[in-house]
Amino acid sequence: MREELALNLRATYARLWVRIKGGNREPEWLIAEMIIPILTLSAYIYMYKMVNAPPEFSGFVIIGGTMIAFWSNVLWNMSAQFYWEKETGTLEAYFVAPVSRMAILLGMALGGIVNTTLRAISILVVGLLVFQVPLMIYEPLTALLIFFLTLIALYALGMLFASLFMMYGREAWHTANLLQEPVQFLSGSYFPIGGPAVPYVVQLLSSLIPLSFGLDGIRRVVILGEGIANTWLNVVALVIFILILLPLAKAALNYMENLGKKEGRLTLRWQ
Amino acid sequence: MAVSTVLRAVKQAIWLGWKVDTNWADPLVFAIYYLVRPLAGLLIVGFIFLVGSFSAGGALNSEYFTYMFIGNSFFIYVVQIMMTMTMLIHEDRAHYEVLKHIYLSPSSLTWYILGRALNGVMNATVSLLLTLGFGVAIFQGLLGVQIPINWLQIDAPLLALSLILGITCFIAMGFILCGINIMTSKVQFMLTEYVSGILYLFGGVIFIPQILPPWGQTISNALPITYFLRSVRFSILHQSDFAVQTDLMYLVLTMLATIMISLAVFKVSMYKARRDGLIDKKEEY
Repeated sequence: MREELALNLRATYARLWVRIKGGNREPEWLIAEMIIPILTLSAYIYMYKMVNAPPEFSGFVIIGGTMIAFWSNVLWNMSAQFYWEKETGTLEAYFVAPVSRMAILLGMALGGIVNTTLRAISILVVGLLVFQVPLMIYEPLTALLIFFLTLIALYALGMLFASLFMMYGREAWHTANLLQEPVQFLSGSYFPIGGPAVPYVVQLLSSLIPLSFGLDGIRRVVILGEGIANTWLNVVALVIFILILLPLAKAALNYMENLGKKEGRLTLRWQ
Repeated sequence: MAVSTVLRAVKQAIWLGWKVDTNWADPLVFAIYYLVRPLAGLLIVGFIFLVGSFSAGGALNSEYFTYMFIGNSFFIYVVQIMMTMTMLIHEDRAHYEVLKHIYLSPSSLTWYILGRALNGVMNATVSLLLTLGFGVAIFQGLLGVQIPINWLQIDAPLLALSLILGITCFIAMGFILCGINIMTSKVQFMLTEYVSGILYLFGGVIFIPQILPPWGQTISNALPITYFLRSVRFSILHQSDFAVQTDLMYLVLTMLATIMISLAVFKVSMYKARRDGLIDKKEEY
């Protein structure tokens, strides 16, 4: 039991190391991942300025853009990762290794969190400095709690998707693309989803995405100066997501691996 | 090279691009795919507009909304063409490993790239029509936002001329990106985002460029997309701050400048790629 745990932890560390090393070895990638989100965020902030929206809306956009960096990382470097591995012929190495697939995915997730946090902080700082958005943080621990719960829920969702993407060919690429703007819209990444201007059906669909609760909670604590008394429901919702998604991800991974073996699709390239 | 050879190469490239883009799914899934992303993009900016206007306490400005609606919808051409042309070299060289065969074939690689770009234009047109239809249905039909467009009064010749000039210009930009991609192997994913992001921010797509700082307005005035969207808006709404003839003239000038730069960049890149053995360079990372 202890040996197995140590082996899995070593696999997690190894995958984490590769992810951090690989993610930061190309300076042009690093710079692009910091600059490109600022371009879109700026366009949305100027749009709010055009309609004379209150200044806190610029803060909503910046927080949304910061968290979207994590969603993009979940999609492309977590969910689609097994698809990339299959295309480059390294997926089978994972499957013959005497470690849990979840340990490998955990390493990817932790490495992704470290890399994306670096980028997210720069997006946040540049956004706040350029657009002079005031923050009102009275309970930083609440903000951190919601932030980390959101990350765990998102990466658990990424692990679940990874099992599905493992079976895909080109669909993986298209599906990851497909999950960008729709999730950004439904999670209210650039506008508060709970307002009266947003139809009930959109709010209902939004509640199926953990990012919605995380974003709403972080914005309330960081921009509007609220505390745990107003955001405890967000915390509960995120914990429920985590409790559901993590076991589901493990079950889906096992199921898809078996299905892949039966159908001979784990080593199939150029589908 | 004979015209028939060129036309055949372009036609085959369009057909190949269509197959690559579509044969992973049945037609319904494909149509949904080409609708969902741009529509979700439109919904994001539409709701930013609605929520922002509501919070500002003022009435919804339907003129601004329509400005944003048209700009964001026609921006699909930029995104689709850039995405098609930036990924093309990477996919054909490193993923499918066919670029060297295409390069060796009697017809030119340039015409092949043009054909693939035209396939991107076709896909963008499908997305545009679906997005316009569903966008009007959702915002005007379901949410009651007035979109003052008389679809029967559109100046079709002007719209067609604007589209031809704009699309030609975007394809020329795509050739610059192809040139960069053939010289490099790790920037294809970010190039689309860079170009699209800059054009989206400075091109007057979802907000009027006059609210940008002076240096931002200078950039905006140098970009062909600014004039492309102005003339498209004029052809649909028959209103513009500028005379449409002036916008068309600037569009032509910026298009010619982009074409000249793209020809130079692509030619130099192909020369260096051949010299340095980059045409069949396969790199995993």
